[in-house]
Amino acid sequence: MQSTLCILIAEDSPADRMLLATIVGRQGYRVLTAGNGLEAIMMFARERPHMVLMDALMPVMDGFEAARRIKQMAGEELVPIIFLTSLTENEALVQCLEVGGDDFIAKPYNSVILDAKIKAMDRLRRLQATVLEQRDLIARHNEHLLNEQRVAKAVFDKVAHSGCLNAPNIRYMQSPYALFNGDLMLAAFKPSGGMHVLLGDFTGHGLPAAIGAMPLAEVFYGMTAKGYSLAEILREMNAKLKRILPVGVFCCAVMLNLSFQRRVVEVWNGGLPDGYLRRGSSGERIPLRSRHLPLGILDASCFDDRYEIYPMETGDRIFLLSDGVLEACNLAGDCFGEGRLLEVFALNRQPDLLFSEIQQALSAFRGEAQDDVSLMEVHLMEEGQLPHSPLIFSDSGQNASLDWSVSFEFRAETLKRFNPLPYLLQLLLEVEELRIQGSVLYTVLAELYSNALEHGVMGLDSSLKRDAQGFAEYYRERRTRLANLCDGYVRFHLDLRPEGKGGRLSIRVEDSGPGFDVQRMLERHALAEHLSGRGLKLVRQLADRCSWAPDGRGVCVEFSWPARHNPADRPSAQE
Amino acid sequence: MAITSQPSADGQELTIFIQGRFDFGAHQEFRDAYERVNVTPKRYVVDLQGATYLDSSALGMLLLLRDHAGGERAQIRLIHCSPDVRKILSISNFEQLFHIA
Amino acid sequence: MSEHLDPSVQALLREVMEDEYPLLLDTFLSDSEARLHALRQAHDARDAEALRRAAHSFKGSCSNMGAPRLTELCRLLEHQARTGELTPVSVLLAQAEQEFAIIRTLIESERQRHP
Repeated sequence: MQSTLCILIAEDSPADRMLLATIVGRQGYRVLTAGNGLEAIMMFARERPHMVLMDALMPVMDGFEAARRIKQMAGEELVPIIFLTSLTENEALVQCLEVGGDDFIAKPYNSVILDAKIKAMDRLRRLQATVLEQRDLIARHNEHLLNEQRVAKAVFDKVAHSGCLNAPNIRYMQSPYALFNGDLMLAAFKPSGGMHVLLGDFTGHGLPAAIGAMPLAEVFYGMTAKGYSLAEILREMNAKLKRILPVGVFCCAVMLNLSFQRRVVEVWNGGLPDGYLRRGSSGERIPLRSRHLPLGILDASCFDDRYEIYPMETGDRIFLLSDGVLEACNLAGDCFGEGRLLEVFALNRQPDLLFSEIQQALSAFRGEAQDDVSLMEVHLMEEGQLPHSPLIFSDSGQNASLDWSVSFEFRAETLKRFNPLPYLLQLLLEVEELRIQGSVLYTVLAELYSNALEHGVMGLDSSLKRDAQGFAEYYRERRTRLANLCDGYVRFHLDLRPEGKGGRLSIRVEDSGPGFDVQRMLERHALAEHLSGRGLKLVRQLADRCSWAPDGRGVCVEFSWPARHNPADRPSAQE
Repeated sequence: MAITSQPSADGQELTIFIQGRFDFGAHQEFRDAYERVNVTPKRYVVDLQGATYLDSSALGMLLLLRDHAGGERAQIRLIHCSPDVRKILSISNFEQLFHIA
Repeated sequence: MSEHLDPSVQALLREVMEDEYPLLLDTFLSDSEARLHALRQAHDARDAEALRRAAHSFKGSCSNMGAPRLTELCRLLEHQARTGELTPVSVLLAQAEQEFAIIRTLIESERQRHP
């Protein structure tokens, strides 16, 4: 219940004061009285009345000064002041308003008019109080929300920045609060030293848009670190988002798998605007089109993980962008659009400057801060220029056994839909001594596996990959043959033995293919530096020993390591 | 923003008309357009002739309609799509989920 | 009587003040004496501003008490004080004192009827 309205009457004439106090009191209000301005402000400070009826001319301190001070004390709260006056000069009336007076009432008093004015002023006062209350409530809510966003961002930054967005081959532009625009950028080294990159854009804005970012990042980083492939990671991200997000919330995304050794990039785009692969040598621009529905819409059974593969050379650049780039608006409401973007590409002379030229074109066009624009440039680097990120393990690995062997045979149905590499790697990395060369092991396993599968089991001819057109042809053929595979196998034999105080791992890979002329193959690889030759050359460089079965149907590689040191002076990955 | 809906004479089809910006601001109105009708149509038509703009939230709303209309079995046509609207739908490959005309 | 003290205003005041009506009358009389005294002092000191303020305040309470002639005399005094020309003030002040003497008599008789 609202407390009784309390009204202060400041009037020096005792008869007028008495009369007015009686009228106002009879109307049901609580009345305080003061005989001059100074008494009035003291009374106000003590009793905080809701409204003041103020005579203008009073001894000691007049009504104007008292009104000014009372308004000051009231602050944001509205304390209506009604001047009691028979003032007739305009100047004096203006003065009443200037010191903050809200209304006048003339003598002689009319109780009906007086009551109407008091009621009107009370409505105004309550309205102001409500406005202030709501403003403060909104401010508190907003503060609360901003604080939640800060916490969410801090947590998210920890997850997002465990990746390698700062690698020297990546440039990006993103608002610090992009998370709340639903924009997401992720990059992580693969165990093999290549890199996965993702640009995502969730539907909507604010927390609902940010909510899916966390599970997406976890799947991305977790599976990349374990050596899963692009397609497997995409499948899992899609399934996870489909499972946890409400209908109508999804993530447009483009994901890249860059392989620095094989010099290829795999691209999957679901719902983001065209990205571009720009050739360093020719300036040719290949659009990276969206060919899929965004992540989180389709059931796992319908999800399409087909991606495109492009050969990449040093100097080639990939540009990825969110729709915020194309939808950036100027004051006239025009969109930046694809046309303007392609114009910047066309005018570019120095490829190194292209990224900043796009940024400049955008800010020149918009003339303001770009807070919902995400733009990314990724290029290929020579193997070795990028740091191999050390793999992170949750256990110490002290207890692993060093003397065992195990064999696997993966047959056609499995080869079609299962990538055995992460499992093999997990197994090997149980051994602490192997952890420091985890990425080397992964690279070698991956090369041996793809050789066995593509050339052995499926009989693909690697010489096709000599030029870019043949390259595309090769991967089309690979897809077709894999889909139709009905027999064949790939076998892995892993053998781990202690040797002196150190140890030795041998990996033997066999396949069901017809075998090949080992000698001829090695000679050819020694000569040519074409697209097909890098894999085996790399294996020979990375392994301590490498030998082929005489019939060309199997290969054996070995890794040795010296006596175990104290954990304190354990050899680092660079040695 | 004004969204209206009109069932066909036999009640088998519901047409939803979009006027102006089709974005998150239209969320409730769009839902009302198919939830607050007395018919249970077999087919839905979204007429985008009056739509000046469409964003990813609008795509989300279309997915909600698809869910409401039976998900995989939903029969939804998007008609009178301007080239701009068509482009947005095609970047997201929504032609896999809706008949676009 | 009505040109000195308006009976309809007195009726209204009686209604509003109820038991405190006599007290209001007493208060008005003593206050008015003080005001007239202040006017006389300001006049003797040739202080136009003090004269104006006193006349203005007195005018307000006279109007509230329903004394139209006295109210009008206060208004003229206030006006005159504002012009700064104090010569006609002596006459106006004398008239006001005379008018108040009448009002005092009327109020005192009113007071008799409401002890």
